[in-house]
Amino acid sequence: MLERRNPILTNIVLLGFLLLVITPFLWMVLGSLKTQGELLRVPPTWLPEEPTLGNFRRLFDRPFAKFFSNSAIVAIVVTAGNLLLSSMFGYALAHLRFPFKKLLFVLVLGCLMIPGLVTFIPQYVLVVNLGLADTLPALILPFLVQPFSVFLMRQFFLGLPRELLEAGRIDGVGEIAIFFRIYLPLAGPAFATLGILTFLGSWNNFLWPLVVSSSESTYTLPVALALISTGQNQTDYGLLLAGATLIVLPILVVFLFFQRYFIQGIAATGIK
Amino acid sequence: MSSFARPTRRTVTGLGAAAALGLLAACGRPDETESGPAAPAEPIAEGAATGSLTVWAMGAEGEKLPELLKGFQEQNPDVTVEVTPVPWDSAHDKFTSAIAAGTAPDVAQVGSTWMAEFVGLNALESTPEEVATDDYFPGALEAVTVDGTVYGVPWYVETRVVYYRKDLAEKAGITEPPTDWEGLVALAQALQEKADAEWGISLQPGGTGSWQSVMPLIWSNGGNVVDEASTEFTFESGQNEEALAYYQSYFTDGLADPAPADGTTEQDFVSGRVPMFISGPWMMSAVESVGGEGFAGKYGVFTMPVKETSSSFLGGANLGVFQGTKNRDAAWKLVQYLSTPEVQVEWFGMSTDLPALQQGWEDETVASNEKFEVFRAQLDTALAPPVVATWEQVAASFDAQIEKVCKDDLAPADALAATQSEAQGIGTGA
Amino acid sequence: MSTSTTTAGTDGRPAAAGSRRRSRRGAAEARAGVLLALPFVLLFAVFTAWPVLQSMFMSFTDMRISDIRTPFAVDFVGLENYRTAFADPVFRRAALNTGVFVLLGVPLTITAGLAAALALNTGVGRLRAVYRVGFYSPVITSIVAVAVVWRFLLQPGTGLVNTVLGWVGIDGPHWLGDQRTALLSLVVMAVWRNFGTSMIIFLAGLQAVDPGLHEAAALDGAGRWRRFVSITLPSIRPTMLFVLVTTSIGYLQFFEEPFVMTSGGPLNATVSASMYTYNQFGFGNYGVAGAMAYLTFLVIGLVTLVQFRLMREK
Repeated sequence: MLERRNPILTNIVLLGFLLLVITPFLWMVLGSLKTQGELLRVPPTWLPEEPTLGNFRRLFDRPFAKFFSNSAIVAIVVTAGNLLLSSMFGYALAHLRFPFKKLLFVLVLGCLMIPGLVTFIPQYVLVVNLGLADTLPALILPFLVQPFSVFLMRQFFLGLPRELLEAGRIDGVGEIAIFFRIYLPLAGPAFATLGILTFLGSWNNFLWPLVVSSSESTYTLPVALALISTGQNQTDYGLLLAGATLIVLPILVVFLFFQRYFIQGIAATGIK
Repeated sequence: MSSFARPTRRTVTGLGAAAALGLLAACGRPDETESGPAAPAEPIAEGAATGSLTVWAMGAEGEKLPELLKGFQEQNPDVTVEVTPVPWDSAHDKFTSAIAAGTAPDVAQVGSTWMAEFVGLNALESTPEEVATDDYFPGALEAVTVDGTVYGVPWYVETRVVYYRKDLAEKAGITEPPTDWEGLVALAQALQEKADAEWGISLQPGGTGSWQSVMPLIWSNGGNVVDEASTEFTFESGQNEEALAYYQSYFTDGLADPAPADGTTEQDFVSGRVPMFISGPWMMSAVESVGGEGFAGKYGVFTMPVKETSSSFLGGANLGVFQGTKNRDAAWKLVQYLSTPEVQVEWFGMSTDLPALQQGWEDETVASNEKFEVFRAQLDTALAPPVVATWEQVAASFDAQIEKVCKDDLAPADALAATQSEAQGIGTGA
Repeated sequence: MSTSTTTAGTDGRPAAAGSRRRSRRGAAEARAGVLLALPFVLLFAVFTAWPVLQSMFMSFTDMRISDIRTPFAVDFVGLENYRTAFADPVFRRAALNTGVFVLLGVPLTITAGLAAALALNTGVGRLRAVYRVGFYSPVITSIVAVAVVWRFLLQPGTGLVNTVLGWVGIDGPHWLGDQRTALLSLVVMAVWRNFGTSMIIFLAGLQAVDPGLHEAAALDGAGRWRRFVSITLPSIRPTMLFVLVTTSIGYLQFFEEPFVMTSGGPLNATVSASMYTYNQFGFGNYGVAGAMAYLTFLVIGLVTLVQFRLMREK
């Protein structure tokens, strides 16, 4: 963040890209206000000719609050769990020595590389055998720990200086306390990133909640949305886009909430 | 932590491999016993239904079903029915997972192409004699019959007919819809030459589901892709080849677009760019919503052109009772309720799903729409896809060959031969 | 930073007082490590590792969906499923498509993500938050909306891309319908869709770069590019490895784009390994599908290993 050469030029270029990039998102929001007839038109229209809130009204015919709270509970618990458990394990992998460390890392990373499809049915049968079918814990537990999260936290902690650890030891701070009191507070940017990505993944998860839930009371938003908009032979695009717009709003909130932490830097450690 | 002798990596790997091999060696299929026809279903107990029932239904049907079942509740006050609506998207995965894990419902709406597969998984109960099955459209009843036994019942049906722009056809000098294969080609040509259409007709040039466009032609020509007993594939035959060649001719003669853009059917129909296509009843509201007011008068529908017969694709959905249900009697009573003519008509009123029971069509509400008359006529000769457990995979293979026929000028005979050999490799899953 | 596995010696007899202190510290460290790792590892073992083992087992048998309830009543077929997969021309095509997709898509995505992160980091003022959210929006937009807009963009006749090309006199091809251009179109779409994720990860990693180093180097007269190459890049090395590995893993399993846009066509020009595997699962061929999935896994594992070696983790 040194010289700011041509901030105006940079801004113009960036704005140009931004417009290109953001177009489908805008189209999605505008599309939620259109009728099915207008949505089927080719080339697609931009501004709705007869804007209507009918799609949104039909969305709320269903018990939306329940679907929303299911999705929210699951996403929040999964995100919090990931942040905590992955940072613990990631830190240990980055800076501590303990038995089976390398093996564990390879195994966890290995599972990241296995296509999710192939473990789907065994995971489902496992959940059923544990008596968790059609419950919220079944939606949460398999995702509470993810290889992606621990990998990210490990890399992030590797990027933090080891001197902090040494300093902590010299000061007589216990190993676990070193983690919680010294390194964890520095994890802001990583938490922001991981928090957003995990929340997004959980919030948009479709196939697993579909299969695990056998009653409406445990449906999450993506399942409910697919339910009302996909038909046997055709799709109600208006409903789909309205639902997609609504579903995206909490993610935006989460994003805006977390992104303050992007700014946190090493300067805060006072290592100088 | 550092004093015990850690097993070396080699030991661990060795033990693991040995365990794995042991497990694998322990498995093996039991010897196949001859499977004869299924044992006849037990009769349903008399009296009103009791206990509780779980019912799965997809999409819009799932949402409206509770309303429809109020009548059932009144007749059977001691039973509680819980309807879970399931999205169409990935519904098949949900069913197969549930069957695998033993969490299937008592009663469910079953997609028309899933019956054979679920029967093959021993997931469905056969239909007891008390449930009447004589008034269904023949194609619909065939769709729920596997190896001579009926499983479940048809619920609602749909079929495909030819949509065409009446006004543009008149402009091109054709006032009556065509009735045979040559007539359809003539209409497409006329629309292109005299009514400014870019393409005479919209046909799917291969790709997922294109078999649903080609099979009706095969059937109309008297051919089929499975034998009578649905135990063998019969892709190679003179009649099939003729039908596929007829389909190909639309592309080679420039009447149908071999590389159409996706999702433009309604728009093209309304603008006149492609004023003909083949599809089911739901497209009526779709084109009318794009075409706006008054458009309904500009188009018409007619039954598939005749070669030997006028056959079409029969779809829809069925009702099935799952094995492992703990409330069998109530489940079948529910199915019976939904299969009475009055309830079928009531359902049509709520959902516009066409009744599978022929008697349901006699009611005013169904018989009034003149376009529905065409669908009714088509239903008499419409056929469901082969009731074979591996049909999805075989169909995908067929789709790929159809694509080559339409885009790569592959000879129909070669395409059918290739499909036959792949289908035989896949087997019928019986 | 060492990633050594075992703790001190296997016989546990300290040689001197110094190593006794070291081994006590080593024991404390190991204890802490295990404690911190335990919750994760336990949950992971139950809900991830065990199903993985089960599915691996599946790929060596002739299991079909009808056998799920009686998983041991299947025949062990060794590598038969793997052989079937290799012999399948469509699977081979899928593997080729996937390879091309990764080779083109990963560098483009990472470059775009890094460029965006750098741009946002060098002081664009108050609009920074807007750009962050905006560039990330493709990641969170529903695939349905994405598909509709992109299909419109790529339409042969009236599509935006071909219209613009027409202004400079180029007759654009049928992007999604032509075998030669379909996969490339999907690559561009994927880069557009995913660069936001790389961007926010790089944003986090860039926070670890000490601005003091930059100041010192600037005072010494190093230009922007020089500073980027010698200071920024090395500082974000762990982050770069992470983005490289996860993007590669993600792209090797790419599924949504062909599934939604082209269904694998035209004539299998865009079918991906994951999509074909998904179809096999759909047909109930669990044994073969399992084999395909694990073949994909082997490739992913190899690629990841190479990447780790290349970045030479210390």
